[in-house]
This record gives sequence, C-alpha cells and structure tokens, in this order.
Amino acid sequence: MSSPGFNFSNAVRNNFLQEKGIPLPKATSTGTTIVGCLFKDGIILGADTRATEGEIIADKNCEKIHYITESIRCCGAGTAADTEFTTASISSNMELHALSTGRAPRVVTAMTMLKQYLFQYQGHVGAALVLGGVDSTGPHLFTIHPHGSTDKLPYVTMGSGSLAAMAVFESSWKPNMERGEALALVSAAISAGIFNDLGSGSNVDACVITATQTEMLRNFVKPNERVEKERRYTFRRGTTAWKTENIRSLIVSENITPVSAGGDAMDTS
Amino acid sequence: MDPSYRIIPTIQPQSASINDTAGTLGLHDTLQYGLRSIATETSKDGFENRLANWQETQDNLKLTMLRDLQGLHAPMRLLMERRIVSANPHMPAMPQSNIHLDILMGRDETLDPADFFLGMESGPPLNIHNEMEKKLRL
Repeated sequence: MSSPGFNFSNAVRNNFLQEKGIPLPKATSTGTTIVGCLFKDGIILGADTRATEGEIIADKNCEKIHYITESIRCCGAGTAADTEFTTASISSNMELHALSTGRAPRVVTAMTMLKQYLFQYQGHVGAALVLGGVDSTGPHLFTIHPHGSTDKLPYVTMGSGSLAAMAVFESSWKPNMERGEALALVSAAISAGIFNDLGSGSNVDACVITATQTEMLRNFVKPNERVEKERRYTFRRGTTAWKTENIRSLIVSENITPVSAGGDAMDTS
Repeated sequence: MDPSYRIIPTIQPQSASINDTAGTLGLHDTLQYGLRSIATETSKDGFENRLANWQETQDNLKLTMLRDLQGLHAPMRLLMERRIVSANPHMPAMPQSNIHLDILMGRDETLDPADFFLGMESGPPLNIHNEMEKKLRL
C-alpha cells in the first residue's frame, strides 16, 4: 500500500543497475522561450507556443502562461506536465490562502509556495517558472528554477531559447517603459527565441498585468502562419462510382408526452 | 519531538534488515507476512526517505522553535491536543478521516497532491488483527 506521489518500487533495481555501470535514461527537457519584464505600469509576461516531444512537435499552439490568481500569472518551461500541475496546485492553494487571510494574494506567497514545493522534490519536478504579478505592494517578477532557487529581477528569461531572448532584453530594456514599447520588446525577445531556437516556435503569447487589470493577449503575434495552399486537393463529387442507395431513418416513430405541467420545477404538492 | 533545527530530513545510510518481518526465532515469518521479498527488507532510498519525512521534519522545526522561545509547555500542549484528537474509537475500517487532526496540523487550508490523487485502491485490510493490536496497545 503506497501513498500517492512518486513510485519507488523500482528504486532498488535502478540503484543496482547504476552500480553495474548502466546509466539512467536522461529526462527530455522541452524547448521553450519564456520571458517577463517590468514596465511603468506593471509586468508583461511572454511565451512561445510550441510543445515538443523529443524531436516531434506535440502541440503547435499550446498555452504556457498559466493562471495563478487574477493578477498573478506564471510562465512555465521544462516538463509540460510538471509546470501545468505545479501551477494549478499552487493556484488552488493561493485561493484557499486568500480566503483564509481575507486579503488580496501576493506574488511572494506564490513564489514561496512554489520554491518550497520544488526544493522538497530536489529538482525531480522539472519546472522552470517565470512568476509575475501586481499586488498591494507593487509589481514583482521572479524566476524559479527546478531545484528551488529563486531570483527577483526586472527582466528575466527561461527555457532553451532564453539566451536569444536575453540578448534582446540586454540590448534594449530600460526602466519605466511605456506599454507599447514594452510589448514590442517582449515580442522581439520571444521572436528571437522562436527563430533562433529549435525547441521554440509558432506564435507569441503575451500577458499584460497592471494594478487595475490583467490582459491576456493570446497569439499576439503569429509569425509562422501556414501559407494557404495554391490548389484544391479534394476529390470531385462522383469520383467513386456507386451502385445502389438505401436511406433509412433511425427514428421509426416518435411520440412526445410532456412530463409535468410545471416543466422542470420540483413537484412540492 | 526531537529538539533539532533540521529543515530537511536526515540522510539515512541504506541498509537491508529483517527487523520488520522477523518472528520469534529471528527469521522472516512466512506464516504472518507471506513470502520473503526484498522490498520489505531494504530501507527507503535517500529521495524516498526525504519525501516521506518532509512534513514531520518541518513540523519538528516549528515545535523546536516554539520550545526555545516560549518554553517546553508550548509544544507539549500542542502535542497533547493532537494526541487527544487522534484517539479514534472507530474500527480500522477502510475510509478513515480525522478532520479535527487535519485542522490542528494546518492541513485544512492546503491542498496536497495526496488529496486529489486517490490513493492506491486497496481492499479491506488483510491483517485486521494486527491493526487492532496496534490500536489497543496505545
């Protein structure tokens, strides 16, 4: 009888094999470019939309910006299941915590919950996250690495395309940018990841978080739209010859009787 | 309660022992526990041990801090309350839930993966006698 969580029934066998010299299979890390940046009114998060399974693209338009609370969002890189599950779990705990304290949730609370959870699992939960939001103390932006370390910075990038995106940020970021400027910078950073990293691709998602509202810009830029085919490849009607036709109605006869005069209301007579 | 400020559980050296399933003669008791298997004899490996003891270690840290700040009575009262609440008059039947204990441990306001991933489906306990023995020896 084992409790829910990781399954350790093969641990003894794996240790034995490792001692014999057979290496453990490497965990595949998914490619992603996720960024976050601070601007005059709050935070902008950005992400690409490609999910890979080894060399194959599993999802051409997946959502990497996850909901934590109304004004806190989290981008996730690494193992897709781990990021989705971890962020969903922390989102539930944040809601319970907000109801219990009676106050608006804070970004540092989410960051602390995430880092404690990831540290407990010693990096086996492969979730590299960019957490950003605006709360009563102002806008905050954090990165959280799979082993549980965190950084608080004005602009961050994570994932396999992080180097390309960081190059764009380092050359153009400045404090107190306007919304339009900051959005253009984030799009440029994600596009750098999309075009220069094989693990990232498809479209750019963005999320603008300010003190008053959160705006989710799904597929903000679509630089990889499929070109419309020049010819039509459907078959002409009548290409396949047929001999007889027999149409049979599935409903033989139907008799509708209304159940009660009051409709769906409960009968309390 | 172990007076220690450890944040992470102790790293125990791996060993194989027959203690859990040994009968009166010191060998594996097949009649009671079934055929001998390696899973029952090896201790938990490092990572599994860390996960299994995590909550307990964190709790212990808080109790130790309470003891050092407010005196021995503080953790003693908390542990006393927990013990009172854990006195379960029910038979060790399948579904067991102690909401009072959950509230005292602070689990009523958090959701763990264990709460929504249903545990391994297990039937009625095969060794009800052992469970009753454990319960009544308290």
